[in-house]
Amino acid sequence: MKTIILFTMLTAGFVSAQNFTVKKTAGKVSAQIGTNENWTAISVNESLPVNSIIETGKNSSVQIDNGNINFILKGSSVLPLTDLKEMSLNDLILALAMEDMLNAPKKKQEANSKNTAVYGAQINGIKSPIVETNDFGVKRLNGAVQLAESGLKESAVVDAKDTYRKYPATKNIASFRIYFANILSGLGLNEDAYDEYKQIQSLKLTDSQKQEVQNKMDELAMKLLKK
Amino acid sequence: MLSAANIKAQSSFELSGYWLPGNSSTTLLNSFESNPSSFSMLKDWGLTMLYGSDFSSSVTSNLYLISLSKRLGNNFITARYTPGYQKDFVFNNGQSIILHDSTTQSLDSKFSYKELFGLGFSHKFSDKFSAGFTVRYFTQDFNQESVYPIFSDTLYLVRESNDEKADFWRGDIGLNYSPSDFISLSLSTQNLLTANANAVDPQISQYELKSDKGVLAGVSISPSKYLGLNLLYETNRDWQIGFNNFFEAFNGNFGIGVTAFHDKYQSPYIAGIIPAITYSTKLFGISLSGVKYFSNRNIVHTFSGFQNTGIDNIINNRYSFDKAVLTLTFTLNTIPERSVEFLDVNILNEIFPILSDHYLDKPFAIAKVINLTSHVVNAKPSSKIEGLDNGKIESPVVTILPHDTAEVPFFTIIPSSYEKKKAGISYVDFYLSTTNQSPDDQSQKPILINGINAWDGKVVNLRYFIKKDYEYSMDYAKNVLSRYKSELDTMSYALSIFYKAKILFNNFVSNLVYAANPSAEADYVQFPHETMKLKGGNCDDLSVCYSSLLESVGIQTALVDYKPVNGIGHVNVLVNTQLSPEQARLITKNDSKYFIRKNEEGIDEIWIPVETTSLTNFGKAWDLGAQKFDDDALDNLGLAKGNVQIVDVY
Repeated sequence: MKTIILFTMLTAGFVSAQNFTVKKTAGKVSAQIGTNENWTAISVNESLPVNSIIETGKNSSVQIDNGNINFILKGSSVLPLTDLKEMSLNDLILALAMEDMLNAPKKKQEANSKNTAVYGAQINGIKSPIVETNDFGVKRLNGAVQLAESGLKESAVVDAKDTYRKYPATKNIASFRIYFANILSGLGLNEDAYDEYKQIQSLKLTDSQKQEVQNKMDELAMKLLKK
Repeated sequence: MLSAANIKAQSSFELSGYWLPGNSSTTLLNSFESNPSSFSMLKDWGLTMLYGSDFSSSVTSNLYLISLSKRLGNNFITARYTPGYQKDFVFNNGQSIILHDSTTQSLDSKFSYKELFGLGFSHKFSDKFSAGFTVRYFTQDFNQESVYPIFSDTLYLVRESNDEKADFWRGDIGLNYSPSDFISLSLSTQNLLTANANAVDPQISQYELKSDKGVLAGVSISPSKYLGLNLLYETNRDWQIGFNNFFEAFNGNFGIGVTAFHDKYQSPYIAGIIPAITYSTKLFGISLSGVKYFSNRNIVHTFSGFQNTGIDNIINNRYSFDKAVLTLTFTLNTIPERSVEFLDVNILNEIFPILSDHYLDKPFAIAKVINLTSHVVNAKPSSKIEGLDNGKIESPVVTILPHDTAEVPFFTIIPSSYEKKKAGISYVDFYLSTTNQSPDDQSQKPILINGINAWDGKVVNLRYFIKKDYEYSMDYAKNVLSRYKSELDTMSYALSIFYKAKILFNNFVSNLVYAANPSAEADYVQFPHETMKLKGGNCDDLSVCYSSLLESVGIQTALVDYKPVNGIGHVNVLVNTQLSPEQARLITKNDSKYFIRKNEEGIDEIWIPVETTSLTNFGKAWDLGAQKFDDDALDNLGLAKGNVQIVDVY
């Protein structure tokens, strides 16, 4: 059972993982590598370990590639490269279950949010909640949305959930919540989606959001009843 | 000239008839005749008396038998005194003398046969098989009168009495075998061993009880609990056959039975029957039986008849009379009635003394127990581990349905003072009690008691090592923190926990020299004071020590159990900074270095992983801990897949 973990052993995994290469940059783009406290500007052809986090400033972007995934992160976004991966639905289910495992025992019902801020904008006819902001948490959600839009929906949900936990204010942004709840619903995770919509109902919503959430809940309730 | 008579020691004749072996417990405790191995279902002490009357021309009453029986475990001892097992013969020998007053006086011969006492011992080898032996003492008194002349001036005829004694011992062995409830078999010897003191006079010695060897075989069939059919056969071609019928009433057992017997020295072919009725409870038994012969017994017999046919049983022969016999049995049970019994006891695990209260809710042994009664029983289990417990440790009562079995868990308490370092084999005494003070049953099993540093390899149980040394850890931590009092007092209260954890870690590692090779001391964990004294340890020792230092000053920690991959596992520590997610920026700008847990009140708190084997500084240890946690627990879904587990220490 016992062993000693040497520093070299701990870092071996990161060295061997497939790094991302910076293909293009525009504007202000920086990265935080590993557990480093500092952000450093990144440049084209630079190699980024998977435990890096990349951030783009307003009207900036960066294109990265690891041979399997080619991804462009738009402006005002943050993305942990560990989330830039394909996940199976089963892995997503495990990741959602992990949230409870992280909590200390005797978890009580989460308190309702007091934040009444409303974010979100309509982009290309699709409700996309990406916002221009300097808020790090919102930037992470922006990054998560872009993950979803690139097809990595499961990873996007995991990224969003992590963001909600670490930046609680982002949980009050109804547009993001509805966006990721819709993804859960679209993936067939009806119970998780229903729980999410139920929590969203307690947020301050616009009339259209209220209607959308209610419609989704009714639809999911029917599905769950038929189960 | 007299021919040899057929006189033998009695064999299988029983004044109360022949009963099923299993049902004789409270009716016949003394029987050497129908229970040749002399074993009984008696639980402790038993006293039996047989009192009866002979219906000859006049009614004479006798105390036939009094016996005392005692059971000692699987051994059964009986001693009996048989004053009524006696037969006297008085014959006119055909001679008479005419006295000077012209009266005549007959000359008699008196033969007296007695069985005085007997001893029996048997052992129950199993529920199916028992064997034993009996020893009995017989006396024989012979008296013959005769006259002989004395020649002098006058011819005198002198009357003379010739007395002879020829006592002897008889020893036999017997076996009882019951392969099932349906059938019971018995086998015993007759006159296997005899020790004689023969009469000197050959004229008398021919009337001694003979000791022809033989065998007695019996079979009892019980088609139901309440019915028994019995057959007894002796190699001299005597036999008995009988049936018993039982029924329950008045909190006891009623039984009726009748035995018919054939004695080749008696006529008719079925010489007689022994009807009997019994009633028995756990405390006493009473039996009324009779012996009814089918031939007329109140007739005058001749000496020549006796001489020619003899007898083969002292209390049952052609000269015996009809009888009525009352049998009284009293049982004294100083041993509590056993209501429950161990079928098996299974030790689940060796004892790890450090686990202390672990054994309060997790049994160290489980017994399979049977309820022997026809009512619901509350079994009270208790145990005592030699060398660990000062007294019996009682475990929860288990209710068991009638004649049902149940699994009974045994728990224990490890004394907080237990400090033995070395492991050793000890033993556990398990007890089962019901309503009695003394146990119904007990069992003993060996058990391994590990030393106080022994660990069962489960990370969840490292908490016991953390808690055990709180006093030392608290002194150590307070001493260290007191040196940073001014810094701690001036910083934001919200950050004080984080900085205390940092200060203690940096001090902790500054006192350590090395991290030991863990494979060399698997399943052995050092207490914090030992780690500090030895200036090193492996990941378990270092995590236990650091966690203990923090917990002792109120900083909440958890252990991260990285399950073995390719046989190599790992443990490090999580520290609860109690900072809110919004306060994360106070300690780091990198959000991959912490994660959020909800506390018991549902409030989000920042926890940070610390790699205790990084003997550098807090910052580096935090980085290493965070990298491993992010990689193994979160990114690779280790927590969800069970490869990583968070074990809270409280």
